[in-house]
Amino acid sequence: MEQFLYYIKVSLVSIKRAPLPYALTIFILSVGLGVFFANATFYYQLNSDPLPAKSNKLFFPMMLITPYDCNDCRPPRVLSYANVQKLANSDIPSAKAAMYSADGYARLSSSQPPTPVVIRITQRDFFAMFDVPLLHGSFWADDGGRFEILLSRAMALKLFGRTDVVGEQMLLDDKHFSVIGVLNHWQMLPRLYDANGRNHLSPTEDIFLPLETGYDLHYLSKTNSQTFDSTDYRKLSTEGRTGALHQLQYWVQLDTETQQQAYRQFMLNLANDEKAAGRHPAPINNQLTAMRDIVSYFGDESGDIQAFALVTLLFLLVCLFNASHLSLNRYLSNQYEFSLRRALGASRAQLQLQMLADVLLMALFTIVGALLTGYVGIKLMNHLLPGNSLFSSWDIPLLLSLLTITLVCSYLVTLYPSLRASFGTLNQQLKE
Amino acid sequence: MIKLTNLTKIFRTELIETHALREVNLQVNEGEFAALTGPSGSGKSTLLNILGTLENFDAGDYQLDGKSVKGLSDAALSRLRNEKIGFIFQSFNLIKDFSIFDNIELPLRYRGLKAAQRKQRIEQALELVGLHARRDYLPGQLSGGQQQRVAIARAIAGTPRILLADEPTGNLDSLMARQVMELLEQINQQGCTILMVTHDPDQARRAGRHIQIIDGQLSDTMLYEPFAAQSA
Repeated sequence: MEQFLYYIKVSLVSIKRAPLPYALTIFILSVGLGVFFANATFYYQLNSDPLPAKSNKLFFPMMLITPYDCNDCRPPRVLSYANVQKLANSDIPSAKAAMYSADGYARLSSSQPPTPVVIRITQRDFFAMFDVPLLHGSFWADDGGRFEILLSRAMALKLFGRTDVVGEQMLLDDKHFSVIGVLNHWQMLPRLYDANGRNHLSPTEDIFLPLETGYDLHYLSKTNSQTFDSTDYRKLSTEGRTGALHQLQYWVQLDTETQQQAYRQFMLNLANDEKAAGRHPAPINNQLTAMRDIVSYFGDESGDIQAFALVTLLFLLVCLFNASHLSLNRYLSNQYEFSLRRALGASRAQLQLQMLADVLLMALFTIVGALLTGYVGIKLMNHLLPGNSLFSSWDIPLLLSLLTITLVCSYLVTLYPSLRASFGTLNQQLKE
Repeated sequence: MIKLTNLTKIFRTELIETHALREVNLQVNEGEFAALTGPSGSGKSTLLNILGTLENFDAGDYQLDGKSVKGLSDAALSRLRNEKIGFIFQSFNLIKDFSIFDNIELPLRYRGLKAAQRKQRIEQALELVGLHARRDYLPGQLSGGQQQRVAIARAIAGTPRILLADEPTGNLDSLMARQVMELLEQINQQGCTILMVTHDPDQARRAGRHIQIIDGQLSDTMLYEPFAAQSA
C-alpha cells in the first residue's frame, strides 16, 4: 500500500510538472468517452433484456392465415379475434394472453375534465407473464368481460392523488369502472410485449382493461390493425370479434423445449386444418419468435442509435489517437526521469507499475469528465430524439462497464508512451 | 571484483563504425580507488557506463564478483545496479521537484526496503555528506556542491560495493570539488570501491590508481601512493 501511494505521489508530481498537456489529454479523452457513453447508454438500454429469467420462454406466434394466395408474404404481426381463439385452443402454453392498446379518456366524475390515457386491453395472464408488480388489490379472476380495471401507480396518483384506490369508481370514456388493482412502479424496458411498430420504446400504459370488455366497448387498436377482406372500415370496431379485423398481439409462455416443439406442431396442424378448410390458400408460414428476438424479427432496431454508435466509436478512436499522441509527448519529456530511475535500480516491471498508477489517476479524472460529457450528451439526444428518452438512465452494470472502458482507454493511451519511455539507451537519455 | 576480458564496444551508424573500446582488459580489486582519465572521446565514460551496466558491450566479457553480466535479464541487471553499484553523475541527475530526502530514497524504494530502514539509511547518508538539516529542501535550493553531495548520499545510501563517478567535480568550483573529493576518499576508506572519470590530473593523483584510456585502449595503469601519504 505504501509503495502504491508512492507511485500515486510520483504521478501527481509528474502532472504538476506539465499540467496543461495533461489537462488537454484528459479533456480529449473525456469528450471521446463521454460522447461514446451517451450513445452506449441508449444502445445498452435498447438492447437490454427486460426479463432475463423469462425472455427465452415467452413467444410471439404468427401464422400466415390470410384469405388470399401470397407466396412471399410474412405472417401478419397482428391476429384477428377468431384466429387468437384458434391459437388459444391449446393447453400446451403455461400462460397465454392476447392484447392490444387503445386511447381513451379517464376522469372520476362527469363534472371533471377528461384525462387522455393509454389503455392496454389484455387478459389475466399478461400480468404473470411479464412479471407485473401489484401494489394494491388484485388482478382479474378470469378472462371474462367485466367493468373492472387496473391502474398504473402514476395514473392512480394523477386521478386520485393516492395509490390505495382499490374499490374506487371512475369513468373511462364515460363508462363506469371499478378499480380492482394498482400496479407498483413498473416500466419494462424495452417494452417488448408491444414491439410492433417500435412501440417498445413507449412508456407503460395507464389503464389495464379486460380484452372481452375492450371488444364489447368496440375499442380499436391505436397502433397496428389490418384487414384482409373488403369489410367496411366503419364496421371494424363493431364487428371486431367476427370480422377480419387483425389487431391482437398474442403471447404464449413455453417453459421447456418440449413445450415449444409441441406448440410448433400445434401451429402446423392448425395451418393445415385452415388450408384443408380452404380458408387460407397461402403457403404455410408459421413463426414462433422468442421475446428476445422480436424487435430484430420485425426489423425495428433503432437505426439512428446504430448509426450514432458507429460514429461515436470512430470519434472515440480519433480521440484515443490524439490523447495517446499528447501522452507520448509528456512521457518523452519525462524520459530522463524514467532513465534515472532505471539507472538507480528500477526494473521495467517496476516502471510499468508506476505506469499503472498513472493509468489509475488518468482513469479517475477521465471518468468524471466522461460522465459529465455523457450526461450532457444524453440530455442533447433526449432533446433531438425524444422517443428514446426512456432509455437514457444509467444503472450499476452500465456504470461499471463504462468505468472498465475508461480504464482500458486510459491504459491504451498510456501503454505505448510509457513503453517508449522505459526503453532506450540509459546512458544517452541521462545525458539529454 | 571487476574483471574485463577483451571488452569491445562499437558504436554503429548507417555510415560508420566507431570503436569506443578495443579489447579492454582490466581488473579492479575490492577497495580500490581508481581514476579513469583520457582525452575527450577516448572511451572513458563508455567504459564507466558499461561497468555500471547502463550500456551493453559487443564482445568480450565483464565479470562482477566473479559472475558475468553478459546475457543477464533486465530485472537481473536492475537488481545488480540497485544492490551493488552507486552512480555519481557530473550533472548530479537529481529530480528537481523531489525533496533531498525523496531523491536519496529512490534506489532504496526499488530495493523494497521498509520505511524505517529507508529512513535510517537516508539519515546516515545525509549525516555523512553534512546535509542532514536540508533533507526537506528541493535540489534547486542548494548550491552545486551541495547537490553533488546529495547525489553522493543517494549513491551510498544503498551501501553499494562499487561507486562509479563520472566527472563528479566537473561542474563545481575548486573549493567544492575538493570537498567532494574528500568525501569520496572518506567513502573509499570505508571499503567502497570507486572508479572515477576525471579530466583533472590532480584528482587523478589523489586516487590510488590511475587508468588512462586513449582511443578505446588502456594505455597505462599507474599506481600512486595514497593522497594522504603524499601530503604527509
